[in-house]
Amino acid sequence: MSKTELNPSRWLEAHSDRSADLTTLPKHLLLANICGDGDYRLVLVDAKFGDDISARLKVYKGTVLCSDQSLPDVPSALISFYVDGIEPRTPVLGVACGSDLLIYKNSKPFYKFSIPPLSISALEQDVWQKLCLSSDEPYEKIIEALESVPLSELSGRSQKLLTLAQQEIEDYVYKYRNAELRRICPITCMTTLYRNSEDATSVSYPVLATEFGQLYVLDSQTFTILHEARISNTKATPSIVVAAGKFEVEFRILVACRERYVTLIRKDWLEGKNILQTTASIVDMLIMPGDKFICIATSDKMLNCYSKRGNKLWSVATAQAITCISLVPLQHLSLSLVAVGMQGGSIHLYHSRHPVDYISAPDTPSAIVFGQMGQEDHVMVIITLGGTINFKILKRTADFGLNQDTGISPTIQSKPLPLPKRSKLFLEQSLREKQNPTDMHQSFQQDLIRLRLTSARTLLQINSDQSGIGNTKEQIKLSAQVLGLGPTFTLILTVENMNPDKALIQLSAIFHCNPENYQLSLYTLPIPFVPPSLSYKIHNKVIECLNDGLPKDEAQGNNTIRVFIVRNEQIQPVLAATINMPPTDPLAFTM
Amino acid sequence: MGLFKTLAVFLRIKKKEVNVLVIGLNNSGKSTIINHFKDEEDKQSEIVPTVGFNVEKFQNQSLSFTAFDMSGHGRYRDLWEHYYKDCHGIVFVIDSSDKLRLVVVKDELDLLLQHPDICNRKIPILFFANKMDCKESLSSVKIAAGLGLDKIMDKPWNISASNALTGDGLNEGVEWLTQQIRDTIVNRN
Repeated sequence: MSKTELNPSRWLEAHSDRSADLTTLPKHLLLANICGDGDYRLVLVDAKFGDDISARLKVYKGTVLCSDQSLPDVPSALISFYVDGIEPRTPVLGVACGSDLLIYKNSKPFYKFSIPPLSISALEQDVWQKLCLSSDEPYEKIIEALESVPLSELSGRSQKLLTLAQQEIEDYVYKYRNAELRRICPITCMTTLYRNSEDATSVSYPVLATEFGQLYVLDSQTFTILHEARISNTKATPSIVVAAGKFEVEFRILVACRERYVTLIRKDWLEGKNILQTTASIVDMLIMPGDKFICIATSDKMLNCYSKRGNKLWSVATAQAITCISLVPLQHLSLSLVAVGMQGGSIHLYHSRHPVDYISAPDTPSAIVFGQMGQEDHVMVIITLGGTINFKILKRTADFGLNQDTGISPTIQSKPLPLPKRSKLFLEQSLREKQNPTDMHQSFQQDLIRLRLTSARTLLQINSDQSGIGNTKEQIKLSAQVLGLGPTFTLILTVENMNPDKALIQLSAIFHCNPENYQLSLYTLPIPFVPPSLSYKIHNKVIECLNDGLPKDEAQGNNTIRVFIVRNEQIQPVLAATINMPPTDPLAFTM
Repeated sequence: MGLFKTLAVFLRIKKKEVNVLVIGLNNSGKSTIINHFKDEEDKQSEIVPTVGFNVEKFQNQSLSFTAFDMSGHGRYRDLWEHYYKDCHGIVFVIDSSDKLRLVVVKDELDLLLQHPDICNRKIPILFFANKMDCKESLSSVKIAAGLGLDKIMDKPWNISASNALTGDGLNEGVEWLTQQIRDTIVNRN
């Protein structure tokens, strides 16, 4: 689809605020009916990574900031989910800060769930006990014991201790003397999973994945762990988790790991199974509604699609590096697009592998969300790296031109081609090829060169062929025929319209010759309308002027007539041809 | 007969019936405005989002209005254009507190003005900048500027700030519409 067809834009520019100064990461943005009044709000985390790191939870009503509260830490993810069926249906917000899941109800802190801390090795416990109690033994000696434990199995406090300089150790130990030794596991990503109905407002459960590769499904009312699984049997650091299905029936949880693979966890599985591996780092991952295909954006400027089982279906290269992706579900058109935000500020909308629309953002988008906002169903909120907040509304009349060209997408070849079985002939042929490969190759090369020679020869012949001159652009062909022995000839010109759609109009033929040699019955002739694929014949009478009763034939150029086909009011001729006239037979003349 | 009818209308014995189309985005207050003009006993205490459309009748001076209260929800906006042909006036209701959707209002208004049943007719359009009591609401002047109403040259239009809950501004607007419709009908006769 060309860009001109896309204008005017399918999107209405609703609001843009360059001074919003927001730093919002991809998983920090959502639209939810958090007040239960049907007026969907924009909820986002504004994290500042300056000298002092801070984060705030902001709620926008329309374009106006209506709630702003500080968070204890920069969260890793933000979700909203319904906890119960009480009217009015109001979802709660879940914010993952460190190892805690903070729940906000009606924009007020409501509950805090902490991931159970991991076990601490007896050795580490022993070391800290010694550090806190005895002061006669040198610290270094005690600490040395810690080095026998792998670093990743130590608590954060011991990890820090090992990196400290000698003089700082005493202060550090003193500071944490009385604090309980804990090995916390931070939540890295989070999503929601429907309990028993996939209705948008039905109860769903939060799904958390931790730094150490554990996955938890929580009950949203009691906040107890319903299901716990290991993400992979190898080392896995989850970075993105997505879920589909219903917890009580059947579900699929996909976890993208920093180690570039995606694992699948299903109902009752205690350990995830690796289903696919990518070559580049995973930027973001989505599950397409409907067919449940997995859409993955990778850092090598590729958008990939995998089947449920992890088979690669297609991948497209994008113009710029992908910064964020978002699902654009359009229920009234029963299709789902993927909005791909790219470096530089362009956002492309993909319908499966085909880009169907282009949107531009003020600068590189950092987070995109599409959904209901306020009273409007189809709002896209874009937050850029520069801190701009931009609202775009999809026009009601936009159909993305998919009604006309549904046939553009070639059927994806998921099943193998219907190849025939290996025949006896095939086997014989392959056997022969194995026996004398050199001869076969040589004879093939010989034939190939011969073919090239033939084609080159034919081309040369066509080029030098005078019988018909054509203009390929205008699709006009001109051929000439000279009848007679002289000194009177009849010149028959045939103008052929080779264009099957367009007629030839406003053309004229101009004849040009040396008046000392030839006299023509007509010198200019307006060519009438020539319908497509038809031809027009021009008859012209030529009389050769004979001086002293003898034909002249000294110079080559003198016995030629030039023909130009010109378009009216156009300087350059459409076609030009030179006709070599045959010399008059002096004998025939004298007779 | 025709003479009698005209005479009856002229003498204000029989009221002339006119159709008005009430359109605007969802949640802008169309049904609430119509509710205000209804008789006391027909009034509804609670307004729910309209599905499809409702037909309501009310009187104003010499005219008997038949109002087509269209649903403003996105999926029902396709219905609007089917009523353009037979209407004598249009009431366009705008939620003046919804700044985000002002562009959507403009888009819908442009679609209305470009429609073949509307673009060549001198049909009066009354705009209600509703919800003027909301504290974040835009003034009617700002809305008129935002929608580019000054570019409408070939049709009489008027914008009035309104509050459909109390009824402020509604009567003035409908008075204007009545006058305009009466003028066009008199001119035609």
